[in-house]
Amino acid sequence: MKLGRRAFLQFAAGVVGGTLLSPIPWQLTDDSSIWSQNWWWRPSPERGEITKVATTCMLCDGGCGIQARLVNKNRAILLEGNAKNPVNRGGICPLGASGLQFLYAPYRVSQPMKQTQKRGDPAGFQPIGWDEAVKELSGKLAGLQSQGNAKTVACLTGQRPSSMDTLWQQFFAAYGSPNFFQMPSQADSLALAAGLTVGQAAPFAFSLENASYVLSFGANVVEGWGAPGRMQTVYRLWRQENGGKAATKFVQVDCRCSLSAAKADQWVAVIPGTEAVLALGIAHLMVKENLYDSGFMQTSVFGFEDWTDAKGKAHKGFKSLVLSAEYAPEEVARRTGVEAAKIRDLAKDFAGHTNAVAVWGAPQGDQPGNIYHDLCFIALNALKGNFDSNGMVTLTPDVPFEPLPDLQMDAAARCALDEQRLDRLQSQQAPLVGNGLYGFLDMVSKGAGYPVNLLMVHEANPAYSLMENKVFQAALEKVGYLVSFSSYMDETAVQADLILPNHMALERFDDAVGLPGVPYAYYAVASPILKPSQGTKHTGDVILALGKGLGGKVGAALPWTDYEAFLKKRVEGLAAAKKGAVADREGMELWKLQPGDLLEANYKDGADLWKKLAGGLCWYDGPNGALQKVETSSGKLELGLNTLVAKGVVAAEDEVYLPHFAQLPPAGDEKEFPLLLIGFRTMSLTGEYLANPPFMTKNLWDTVLKGKDLFVELNPQTAQSLGLGEGSHAMLKTPRGEVSVCVHLYGGARAGVVYIPEGLGHTAYDEYIQGKGVNANSIFEVQMDPVTGLGTVWATRAQLRRA
Amino acid sequence: MKEEKKSASGEGLVGGILFLAGFILALIVGWVAFPNLLYSEKTQPMNFSHVSHQDSACEDCHAFRPDGTYAGIPQTDKCKECHESPLGSTEDERKLVEDYIEKDQQIPWRNYSWQPDNVYFSHAPHKAKGIECVQCHRDVTKEKALPVYKENRITGYSKETMKMIVCEKCHAERGVNNECELCHK
Repeated sequence: MKLGRRAFLQFAAGVVGGTLLSPIPWQLTDDSSIWSQNWWWRPSPERGEITKVATTCMLCDGGCGIQARLVNKNRAILLEGNAKNPVNRGGICPLGASGLQFLYAPYRVSQPMKQTQKRGDPAGFQPIGWDEAVKELSGKLAGLQSQGNAKTVACLTGQRPSSMDTLWQQFFAAYGSPNFFQMPSQADSLALAAGLTVGQAAPFAFSLENASYVLSFGANVVEGWGAPGRMQTVYRLWRQENGGKAATKFVQVDCRCSLSAAKADQWVAVIPGTEAVLALGIAHLMVKENLYDSGFMQTSVFGFEDWTDAKGKAHKGFKSLVLSAEYAPEEVARRTGVEAAKIRDLAKDFAGHTNAVAVWGAPQGDQPGNIYHDLCFIALNALKGNFDSNGMVTLTPDVPFEPLPDLQMDAAARCALDEQRLDRLQSQQAPLVGNGLYGFLDMVSKGAGYPVNLLMVHEANPAYSLMENKVFQAALEKVGYLVSFSSYMDETAVQADLILPNHMALERFDDAVGLPGVPYAYYAVASPILKPSQGTKHTGDVILALGKGLGGKVGAALPWTDYEAFLKKRVEGLAAAKKGAVADREGMELWKLQPGDLLEANYKDGADLWKKLAGGLCWYDGPNGALQKVETSSGKLELGLNTLVAKGVVAAEDEVYLPHFAQLPPAGDEKEFPLLLIGFRTMSLTGEYLANPPFMTKNLWDTVLKGKDLFVELNPQTAQSLGLGEGSHAMLKTPRGEVSVCVHLYGGARAGVVYIPEGLGHTAYDEYIQGKGVNANSIFEVQMDPVTGLGTVWATRAQLRRA
Repeated sequence: MKEEKKSASGEGLVGGILFLAGFILALIVGWVAFPNLLYSEKTQPMNFSHVSHQDSACEDCHAFRPDGTYAGIPQTDKCKECHESPLGSTEDERKLVEDYIEKDQQIPWRNYSWQPDNVYFSHAPHKAKGIECVQCHRDVTKEKALPVYKENRITGYSKETMKMIVCEKCHAERGVNNECELCHK
C-alpha cells in the first residue's frame, strides 16, 4: 500500500487530536511557566528557622541599636531598628537598612593580598596567608623601629569614637610615632572650640530633644546630622502636635532648599557662607534690646564686656563687637540677603522661647567648621544662657573606663614625641593643635620634615572620600608602603601594597563610645551577628598580634589575648566605676536626665554588664554640664579668647580674640570662575568609608543621577544666563579640577551657586557602584583654618559651560 | 465511475485507520510515555522509616516554632537527641550517625511538598482550622521506606508539589478568600 501526502495528513491529524486529549500541552504550558520563574540568577532566599540577633550598628558613628533577622542562624536577611535602644528607638536609616549589601558584597576582600606589581595594578594582587601577612607588616615595623624611624610610621582611621581608636593610639604611643590621624569630622572643630571657651577637649552636645525652638545654621538636621538614628527620634519629637501646633519650632538657615529646609517650619535663605553674620546680627538685636540672659553673661562669661588679657593689654569685648554697625540689622540684611524685619523676628523668637538652641553644620556633611564661626554660634547660645542650668548645650560626656596599661613614658617624653608630629613641623604653625590630617598630607607630598615610610589606613577610604582627595593622592606618591585594613576593594585598598582585610562591621566585636552631638553618656557594644564569611581578621587582633611580634614596650602596652578580651576588660572597668545604668526597656527618655543625676547601676558586675551589652543593650549616664568643670584661665566661659593670647597670637585687631565673621576667600579668579560650588547630601547617598549601596542608589531621583550622569542643581535664572536648560550636559570646572555633569533646574538653588551631590563617582568596587556620576571631592577646595590648622570646606569657585 | 467510488471509500477507510493510529499513538505517548519521561526518579540520601518512629508523636519532629512558623523536616539536631550513637546496625543508621550527626551536617532531603518561592504558604492557619495533615500530604503511618522522589525535569519540583488549582478548589469549597495576594505576596 502506498501512503501519500493525504495519508500522512490524516495520521498527523490523529496525532494532533490525540495530543490535545493528552496531558502533554497542558502540562508543558504549566511547567514552562514555573520554569520561567526559576531563572538561575533569580535570588532564592534560604528557608528555615528565623531568629533575631540584637547588636549595634557600626556603619557610621551614630551608635544605633539594630537587630538582624537570620535564617537558620547562618544567613542574614534583614536589618531593622531595635526598639529597646533609646537612641534610635526602633528606627533605622537607609544605610543601616542596606547594611547586608556590604556583608554579601562581591567586592569584599576575601583574604590578605600583597601587591606584587606596580602600586595600583589590580592584577598585581597575590593572595597570601595571614601569618605571612602579619609577619610582613610586623617585620617592617620592627625594622623601622630598630633604625630609629618609628615616627615615619603613620595611621589614618575613620572609626572615631570607639575602642579601636583607643587601641590604635595606645599602639602608636608605645611604638613611638605621633603620626596618628582620624578622618575629618565636625567634632574636630567643636572640640577645639570647647577648648578655647571652656578649656575642655570634648565636643559640644545639644539637648535637641528638649528644645522648644531650634535655629539650625546649615546643619543637616533631617538628613542625619551627628547621630542619624538620634536625629530621627528628635525630629519625631519635634513634630508631635500639641493643640494642632508642632511641639518644637524648627527654623533652617540654609543657602539651598535642602531636605531640612523643606521640612522646617521656616526656611531662611541666606547668601552662602554668611550664616555666622546672621548669628551675630541676631546677637546684636538680643544685646541691644536686652533680650539676652544678662545674669549668665555677667557672672559666668569672660570677654562679654571689654577685657584685659594676662599681659595687661586691653581688648574690646563681644558686646562692643556685636553692637557695632557691622552687625546692625540693615547691614546684616545686606550681607546675608535676609530682610532686616525677618532678622528681628528671628531674634525675638529665639530670645522668646525658653528652650531655644542654635546648632550649626556644613551642607557637605560631617566636616570641621571655621573656628570663628563655631564661636559665633557658641556666643549666640551663651547669650541665651544655654550653657547654664537649662543644659541645652553641654559637653559630650566621657565613658568612665579604667586607664590602659601605663606606657612607661613620662609626660615630657610624650610631649616631645607629639611635637614631632609631621604637621607640627610646618613652617607656618596654627596656634591650636587639632586633627592635623591636611597639614600632615601636605608635608608628606612636599617631602618636608621626614619621609613617611609606612601608612596604615583603617576603616577609611581617603583616596575617594577625603575632601579635595587629590591631596591624599599626592601624598600617597611619597609614602613608602601603604597598608589598607579595608574589608572592601575600595579606591584606597586598590592602591595598597598590602591589604589586611578587617571583618565586615556585622561580623566583629566593636563598640560606640559616646555619640556625636548627644548630651547623655552612651556606650554600646557591637557583637558579630554571624561568623566571618571570608578569610578576614579583626584589625584589633592584628594590632595585638603586631604588639606581640614587636615585644618590649609595645607588647607590654597591649597585653590582651584578643580584641574581644580587650573590650571585656574595658567593660569590666566601666562596671567597676559603678556609674550609669543599662537601658533595658522600650521607651526610655534619656534626654530627661540632668547633669549630676545619679543613676542606680542595674548590673551586678563586669561579666553581667558585658552579657547585657553584648546582647544588644546599651549603657548610659547623665549629661556633662558645660560649666561643671571650666578650665580656662578666667574660670569662666570665655568669649574673650585668652587661650589665643597665651598661645602667642599677636594681632592689632581686637576681633581676632573674639568670635567674629572670618570667611576664608576661595581660591581662583572670580572672572574665570564666576560661580560658587557647594556640595550637598541626601538621605540616599553616603560618601564616607562605605560606598553607596545599590539599595540606596536605586532610591536616587532622576534629578540626582540618571544612568551614569550626575546632575548638579542650578537656579533657573543662572542656567538661562549660561545658556543651559534642564538636562543640558555641561563641564564643571574649579581651580581643583574639571568634571562632566548634567544640569537640573531647581528653584531652591540660590542664583550663582552650583550644588553638587556627594557620594557618587566611585572608580573601584563593582559594576553596580563604579562609574555612576562624578566624585565631588575631586573638585572641592579645602581651606586651612589659620587658627586650628584643620581643613575646612564651604565653597569652591567654579565655572559651568555647555559641553 | 464505480471504480473511483470504491477507491474513494477504500482510501477513506485507510485514512480513518491512519487517523485512529495517530490518535491512539498520541494518547499512549501523552498518557503513558510522557509522564515517565517528564519526571526523573531520584532517591533520598538515606531511608527514613516512619513506622520505626511510631513511639513518637508527629509533632515531636514536625513541630511549629514558637513564632508560629512550621519547622517542616527536622534538622539533624533533632535526630541527635536519640541517635547520637547508632541505634542499630543498618547502613542507614551508620550514614545518619557518621555522615550527618557526627559531622554536624544537615541531611539533604528532597522535599516532596516544596512550593515555589513565589508562593506564600503558612501551615498555622490550616492547622487552626482543623485540616488534617493527610488531606494534603501522604499518610506515613505505615510507611517503612520513603517513596521514590519524582522530579519534574522542567521545573525541578517534586511531582507531589500541590498545584494551585488544588489550593483554590479547597478554598472555594470552604468559602475562604481566594485572592491572588493571599498566596502571591
